[in-house]
Amino acid sequence: MRDIAPERDGNAAPERDGNAAPERGDNVPAERGDDTAVPALDEYRARARSWIEANLERLPAPAPRRGGTGPAAIAAGRALQRRLHEAGYAGITWPREYGGQGLGPQYERAFQQEARGYRLPELGIAGGTTFGVCAMTMLAHASADFLRRHIPRILSGEELFVQFFSEPEAGSDLAGVRTRAVRAGEGWVLNGSKIWSSGAYYADWGMCLARTDWDVPKHRGLTWFAVPVTAPGVTVERIRQITGDAEFCQEFFDDVVLGDGDVIGQVNDGWTVAQTMLMFERGGGLSHGTRTTRASTGVAPDLVELARAAGRLADPLTRDLIVRAHVDDVARRALLARLGARMRTDPAQALHLASYAKLVSGVYDPVRADTAMRVGGADAVNWDAVNGDGEPGESLGRKAAVGFLNSRFMSIAGGTNEMQRNSIGERVLGLPREPSFDSGKPFREVLRDARGWSSD
Amino acid sequence: MSVGLLASATPEQELLLDSSARFIERTMPLPSVRELAAGSGGVDARYLEAAGSLGWFGMLVGEEHGGGTVSGNGLLDAAAVAAERGAVLQPGSFVAANVVAHLLAAEGPRHGGTLARLVAGRARATWVVGDVAGLTPGAGAIVAGEDGAGGFRLAGDVRHVPDAADCDLLVVAARGPRGLTQFLVTADTPGVQVRRMTSLDITRRPGAVRFHDVRVGADAVLGAPGDATAARFEHQVGTAAVLTAAESVGAMHRDLGAAVEYARTRIAFGRPIGSFQAVKHLLADLSLSLEMAKAVVAAAAESLGSGALGSGARDGMDLAHAAKAFVAEQGVELAHGCFQVFGGVGYTWEHDHHLFMRRLAADAVAFGSAQWHRGRLGERIGVG
Repeated sequence: MRDIAPERDGNAAPERDGNAAPERGDNVPAERGDDTAVPALDEYRARARSWIEANLERLPAPAPRRGGTGPAAIAAGRALQRRLHEAGYAGITWPREYGGQGLGPQYERAFQQEARGYRLPELGIAGGTTFGVCAMTMLAHASADFLRRHIPRILSGEELFVQFFSEPEAGSDLAGVRTRAVRAGEGWVLNGSKIWSSGAYYADWGMCLARTDWDVPKHRGLTWFAVPVTAPGVTVERIRQITGDAEFCQEFFDDVVLGDGDVIGQVNDGWTVAQTMLMFERGGGLSHGTRTTRASTGVAPDLVELARAAGRLADPLTRDLIVRAHVDDVARRALLARLGARMRTDPAQALHLASYAKLVSGVYDPVRADTAMRVGGADAVNWDAVNGDGEPGESLGRKAAVGFLNSRFMSIAGGTNEMQRNSIGERVLGLPREPSFDSGKPFREVLRDARGWSSD
Repeated sequence: MSVGLLASATPEQELLLDSSARFIERTMPLPSVRELAAGSGGVDARYLEAAGSLGWFGMLVGEEHGGGTVSGNGLLDAAAVAAERGAVLQPGSFVAANVVAHLLAAEGPRHGGTLARLVAGRARATWVVGDVAGLTPGAGAIVAGEDGAGGFRLAGDVRHVPDAADCDLLVVAARGPRGLTQFLVTADTPGVQVRRMTSLDITRRPGAVRFHDVRVGADAVLGAPGDATAARFEHQVGTAAVLTAAESVGAMHRDLGAAVEYARTRIAFGRPIGSFQAVKHLLADLSLSLEMAKAVVAAAAESLGSGALGSGARDGMDLAHAAKAFVAEQGVELAHGCFQVFGGVGYTWEHDHHLFMRRLAADAVAFGSAQWHRGRLGERIGVG
């Protein structure tokens, strides 16, 4: 998933009438649109179970760590995806004309339930983006011709898509992207740069938002393109992150030639497509939020372990810090349950209520990480490189330190805290908007006027 | 307009909350709360009986005693009503009255008449909880000794008792010869002295109760002294904590609603001040706190209210401690934030904000401060 994701722009964004991020395939009709019969669910489940038992590898319990994104792991993931597709268990809810099975979500749930405990294709973060965000957006907006070319190849693991969305100079202000595509004969020429595309270094395609008209307001001159990662003129560089890892990438486009067939949605109507993409992405953001919820038993067990390891578990101040974190954890967990219930009873507000789920992580993750640093003390600052057996050490202090470095992820990625506060303030509380300096005039003038801001 | 403590209320709950909110607006809106605070008396009999007929004092009591729940979880219903009460700073005993009603219901028919009057709003009851070094529930302050004739003598002095001067029934937690013991004592028993205390929260009328060699019979004892009462006592503390936090959530809701409305309409520098991100973001953060507060209180009420006493109550108690600890601090934080949005007008007696700020600060310590509740959760952590 793209990680420093922008938010819906506050000013000129068309108001969606507000369903929650649609669940994949919810609108698939009961009939498959051809003369093949829809299988009975029980029968389907039984058949899936026997295929799974015969063809998938059982995972040992407890499940091992995921395979990573090395070339061998991704190749294995792609091969497994292909077998799944050939057997008819990929794209269960996706349209049949594009290689899916055209079944309802209950069939996908049934397959997932039966496949629990077995190895499914692991395609890393780019896999999640491909299936959960890019393909869903394409299915909503791309031409039939485009879908016939790409969706079957996505389902068979041949094409992994990432998002070329944020830019070094456009993050939260997504509609302010400056990567440009210019008409050239029968096609387009792309120039610019994208950033924070997760897993682009092993992906095949990027879904790229580019400006195609500079003489209209910013939301109206945008177009989406499918860009091959290996096309001449595309350079992908991995970004070394604050933790030392390198999962995210930056791309540079130098006169990359694209065709009309690479356009996704209508030319200059890219903002409509972006809205759909953000909806799928935010749906993912909410589940991202729930992942931070901890087991409901015990008082902040990770912090208790950390304090024990640091020899500070008897210290009353440390214990109070731990309980404070626990109280916040409990309230966060309760909030997510409450939001789920509120979204079900008031779907029109779902999109805006999701901002609470995002903001609570953005606000409380750093607080909790700081608590871990205080509990860990010096042990969270310095640790032994190897343990007593001479093996690389995996100390609790180191874990706290990495958590500290990662703790502002949700404060920034996928729309900053400030964007969530705007959304809550304006869409939930009904507070008036800021005056806009960019929504009404040609984007070319927006940049010129903004550069003159300080000298006014 | 309901506070919305419950994310999704059943139609029966909505009916209860709607009729409660309309009763409050009709009978005791904020101007009336102010009038009452300026006078010398508590709520009148008509208010209490009307509240009783709405079911306010019978939600933790079975139908055989005239009570009942609309959802099957009386504590959840009571918490939702408490939030509606808190939103309009309703005076009078509610939290303690419900704790007492719940306790009497466990006695079977023995106190049936008293309970029936309490449920109907024709008797006023409070819970005299000994305080240890501030408002921390405990039984340290009152001692019950045997009087040699099968009865007991109560001695001690308890402060910070909700609505003490207005109540005719007291449940007293005391240290007895067989451990923690609770007694039902009428306020007119010889030797019981009640004096009013002055409160930061001018909408409430707390007091101090002195027991000067008060003689009560063995029939005044509620439940079995010792461990059984200690377990029951803990559950009462959890119930009181949840209901107090629920009242706070109502107050938070109303104070924030007023601050948002003010930010929408107050003009400065040619704009409504709520259009400035500095103000908008503060309000959004407060709104997040409020959503969390509602969520954690409802979760605690749901859990504590669904478990039978003793069995599976651990989760409910943990959630109750967490809810009270969270709301106690976030409630005061929210009052500060709203005050900042109101600016100068929030500093006036005329503006209602100070009533909410006072209430939230008082609720923060009632039935256990945040620190006290965190302390109970801390006891769950091992030391080794």
